[in-house]
Amino acid sequence: MIIAHPVLWVCLFCLTACSSEGDSPRDLTYEFKKPSNFPEPTYTFDNNTITKEGFLLGRKLFFDPKLSRDGSVSCNNCHQQSKAFADSEQHPVSVGIDDLLGIRNAPSLTNLAFFKEFFWDGGVTHLDFVPINAIESEVEMDEDLANLVRKLKNDSEYPELFLQAFGTEEVTSPYILHSLSQFTLMMVSSNSAYDKYVRNEGQILSETEIAGLELFKQKCSSCHSGELFTDFTYRNNGLDSEFTDTGRARITESRQDEGKFRVPSLRNVELTSPYMHDGRFKTLEAVLDHYSEGVVISPTLDEELKGNTSLGISMNEDEKSKIIAFLRTLTDREFISDSKFHNR
Amino acid sequence: MNKIKYILLVSIFALTMSCGEDDTPQAERFGEFVVEFDNIVGTKQMSLKTAGSTDYNFENNQGQNFNLSTFRYYISKIKLSGPNGEVYEDEMKVDANAANVKGYYLIQESEPSSSEISLNNVPYGEYDKIIFTVGIEEDGVVEGAAGGVLDPAEGAWFWNWNSGYIGFGIEGASSASGDANKGFSIHIGGWKDIAPAAGETQRFFNNVKTITLNLGVNAKVSATQKPQAHIVTDALKVLGDINFQDTYGVHSPLAGKPFAENITTAFAVDHVH
Repeated sequence: MIIAHPVLWVCLFCLTACSSEGDSPRDLTYEFKKPSNFPEPTYTFDNNTITKEGFLLGRKLFFDPKLSRDGSVSCNNCHQQSKAFADSEQHPVSVGIDDLLGIRNAPSLTNLAFFKEFFWDGGVTHLDFVPINAIESEVEMDEDLANLVRKLKNDSEYPELFLQAFGTEEVTSPYILHSLSQFTLMMVSSNSAYDKYVRNEGQILSETEIAGLELFKQKCSSCHSGELFTDFTYRNNGLDSEFTDTGRARITESRQDEGKFRVPSLRNVELTSPYMHDGRFKTLEAVLDHYSEGVVISPTLDEELKGNTSLGISMNEDEKSKIIAFLRTLTDREFISDSKFHNR
Repeated sequence: MNKIKYILLVSIFALTMSCGEDDTPQAERFGEFVVEFDNIVGTKQMSLKTAGSTDYNFENNQGQNFNLSTFRYYISKIKLSGPNGEVYEDEMKVDANAANVKGYYLIQESEPSSSEISLNNVPYGEYDKIIFTVGIEEDGVVEGAAGGVLDPAEGAWFWNWNSGYIGFGIEGASSASGDANKGFSIHIGGWKDIAPAAGETQRFFNNVKTITLNLGVNAKVSATQKPQAHIVTDALKVLGDINFQDTYGVHSPLAGKPFAENITTAFAVDHVH
């Protein structure tokens, strides 16, 4: 049968057009997606919906040293994609404006959409408020938030970008912070070998890695629990008997929290050396040696580290090497090479 | 024919209008209620000096002289209630867009216009009680970055290191101050409210306070009546028995706790007209 009637032809065209539109894949590049093996995100997306324009503005701000008083320091200085947005191995603590040193190791920015509290002491309770700390810190960017707003208002490019992202040319601090949140919210790292293994995506782990996973479950997962490998609590893991940095107690103002720091996520841990809040250990071997040999007593030492016979976690060298083999399966190469996070 | 159409139209119009009026009970008509905050220091009107001034015009409970350079606080969640069940709750909204932020007011002695809060949409009726919050509660912080009076780049006082707004800020100088520059600053903040577990001590300190005041009269809101409640805020009561020799820098929830307790006694209705 030959379709001759013009109306039918038009109808067919309609159908084709519709169906082809429906089939074409949507651009998911700037869409937040919860990995199936992750918990629910905590961020208030209703107040700040991620858009391509908002993300790109956040990216520009993230890499822009204008955020610092003298134009010398950007967020990227201490948060590098190749390190899963943690600092480089050479910087146990942050190096900021005028080469001033901070007091703690810059943590990885991955998977912050799933966090309720931020920084080693958990003092910040919303992702939007995180960047103000770096911007206004005298030893990081040393810029006044109000002055940053003025600089961006008078910039030749930014007002137009705020207009595109938020519908207002008026540059204000909440929109600066929202765009930075949009950029960091997209830093979801969930495609390590481990993820593909637990999601049954055809990934195989070696015998050593599997043995390491089992040992990890026995010896580490009471604190590094869940798919983000942290229970988000604050604990004293026996680094010192006296504290130069009281950690969580600075926030809670309670002596029972002295020397406690947030249990860090272990995703991409292979890349985020040096370790601990002050970056004192350069290697994963040194970290595990600390847990097996180096734990020292103090009034707030975590109960989990008070063994029956000796302090710490009992592990032999073979067990440690297996655990480290497993920890390396948490490295997400796709994430650290994802071009949407590149500075351009 | 045209005439009939006209009559029909007019009657439909009239019907709609009257229906509208019938459907609207008295209580759902709205007027205005003004709340004005007057800052005082004991028996004196407040006046500010420039920071660092050695002209001390006030005296604290310990007999130490002092002056004030900054006096500011947040008022939020204003409610009015009346003897016949009248209730008004000010609309609250945290938003990145300053124009959409609602229900948060920053009273600053340095800005006379900030002392007057005009509540619109108050249902017609009589009111004899006002309830308000001093500071920014949890629900003002957990929504993230906000504009307007909550924007740190627009004058909001925000603790970066321990996320939250400074609900009450008092700064000045005293010749008795232990500070090298004779200054003092009392920043009262902290909103987390977590009961300690068994065997543990208190963590965090919630210094946000809710104040309930009787207006002393039945203030009537109507088409012709716009009540104005004058509330006095006494800095001397907030400072309480402070000794500037050893207390001149209050910058954490725990340190601010005794002052937050004082806040509950610092507000009083002066008069309503």
